[in-house]
Amino acid sequence: MRKQLFVIFLVATASFFAVRAQAQVIIIANPSFKGEVISKGVLRDVFTGESKFFKDGSRALPVLLSKGAAHDSFYPDCLHMSESSVIISWRRQVFSGKVSMPPSFDSEAAIVEYVAKTSGAIGFISKSAPHEGVKVLSID
Amino acid sequence: MEWGKGICNFRIGSRWVSCLLAAGVAALIGVTPAIAQVQDVHLQIHGFATQSFVVSDNNNYLGMNTRSGSTEWTEAALNVNDQVSDKLRVGVQFHYTRLGVFGGDTPDIDWAMGDYTVNRWLGVRAGKVKIRWGLCNDTQDYDPGYMWSLLPEPIYGIDIRSTDLSQLGVELYGDVSISNKLGQLEYSAYYGYYYFASNDGTLESLKESGTNITGQPSGKTPGFDLRWKTPVSGLTLGGSLMMYNAQGTTTDGTFSEPLTFWSAYYADYSHKKLFASWQYSKLVAYTTTTVTGSDPSTSGIDERGWFAMGGYHLTDKLQAGAYYTHDLIASAHDNSDPANFFRDWAASGRYDFNEYFYGKVEGHFIDGNDVGFYGIDNPNGLKPKTNVLVAKIGFTF
Repeated sequence: MRKQLFVIFLVATASFFAVRAQAQVIIIANPSFKGEVISKGVLRDVFTGESKFFKDGSRALPVLLSKGAAHDSFYPDCLHMSESSVIISWRRQVFSGKVSMPPSFDSEAAIVEYVAKTSGAIGFISKSAPHEGVKVLSID
Repeated sequence: MEWGKGICNFRIGSRWVSCLLAAGVAALIGVTPAIAQVQDVHLQIHGFATQSFVVSDNNNYLGMNTRSGSTEWTEAALNVNDQVSDKLRVGVQFHYTRLGVFGGDTPDIDWAMGDYTVNRWLGVRAGKVKIRWGLCNDTQDYDPGYMWSLLPEPIYGIDIRSTDLSQLGVELYGDVSISNKLGQLEYSAYYGYYYFASNDGTLESLKESGTNITGQPSGKTPGFDLRWKTPVSGLTLGGSLMMYNAQGTTTDGTFSEPLTFWSAYYADYSHKKLFASWQYSKLVAYTTTTVTGSDPSTSGIDERGWFAMGGYHLTDKLQAGAYYTHDLIASAHDNSDPANFFRDWAASGRYDFNEYFYGKVEGHFIDGNDVGFYGIDNPNGLKPKTNVLVAKIGFTF
């Protein structure tokens, strides 16, 4: 019985920290984005440069946050990739002539401002950052 | 087609190599992030440079004096591109390769084009455009994009890649979402002019078989690639076909490849830290050489190769993996002659010091020598087996 309780405690603790890490980052999009949900696959394709479009065919313009807690969490928790892998993916396509690197900003305020004013823009910030004028997406 | 040849042969002075090296120094002192992308301006500048050390036993490999240890493998590129508008992007990329006796002292234009995206289903690229064939053709000369120092030689041979990297023409591309349950299709279809590179292993191989090409054979190349991003997360399947013809001159007559077919079938899978790929390719080509005053002589080749590779991100900075590749000249009807096959077990590791600098170490255990080995640097003949070690440092921005 004690062993079972200990295992349950361990699993609950691990789950708590996993959920807590994911909850630190939110995905924001320009209000032109249709719907409230983005799939993991589309999120990954857009933020690795594999796709320039959302599922409905509208143009996707990712923007990257270059530092901070949300930056540290986004790649492993939302894309399940390291940041270096994501950058390598982008650069491989840049050097084949297919894409340009997405814009990046140091501050979450700049990310929110860019996403709010740019149709098709999508970015990520910490949950606690002010984000008026943008739509918050959940990941399916 | 002098204009086209001009684009393909455009050479810039060795001053550009110095510029690339200067860019490397700038990266070293942290200036790189400032020049890599200017905020609120669409113009972007990127580059990379690598330096390798290669050593082998038994045979010299890839046109280098590897039995003594060779540093004759240097690559660099400079990329300038501008997202002019949401739909239009223009750019140019210069690329320099020195690989032993191959490559040159000046960079070439790797690609130079305009790219207009009509919508999700249709985009158009025009100019000197990279050819999408198989898993790696359009990205194989961007070394920082891979864990491997050498991609599988029979299919993406570094000594012969220059000829097949790009075409002067038009590419149509796009993707079509089938359904949530069936994934999506991506296509690429192109048509353009095609030129043998003047400074890689293709012409050296012809020369060593008795055909001394003068100038650069050229012709047309249509082709396509179709890939299916399956409903299984991380799994892509696809197929490509490259066709080309080429005509040129020899020291004593003419050279012609009426029509060559090069097909590829592939699978690519990635899941979190794991990545794996497989590709099978078949080359069918006929060559006709005509010595002035004599009847034409035609020969054909049916060459088949494949590879299977896999790797793992051990940490955010460290990757390790291995691959096996096998190639056979089926048309020779002699599987026992090392000149007709190539088998290579490779083990590789890569460490990213930071976002800009990385290092690679790779070992190859090769049996056979139908690709990658030349008489020019093996004048005493070839032994059947070769072991190769590659160490490389690189930077990219």
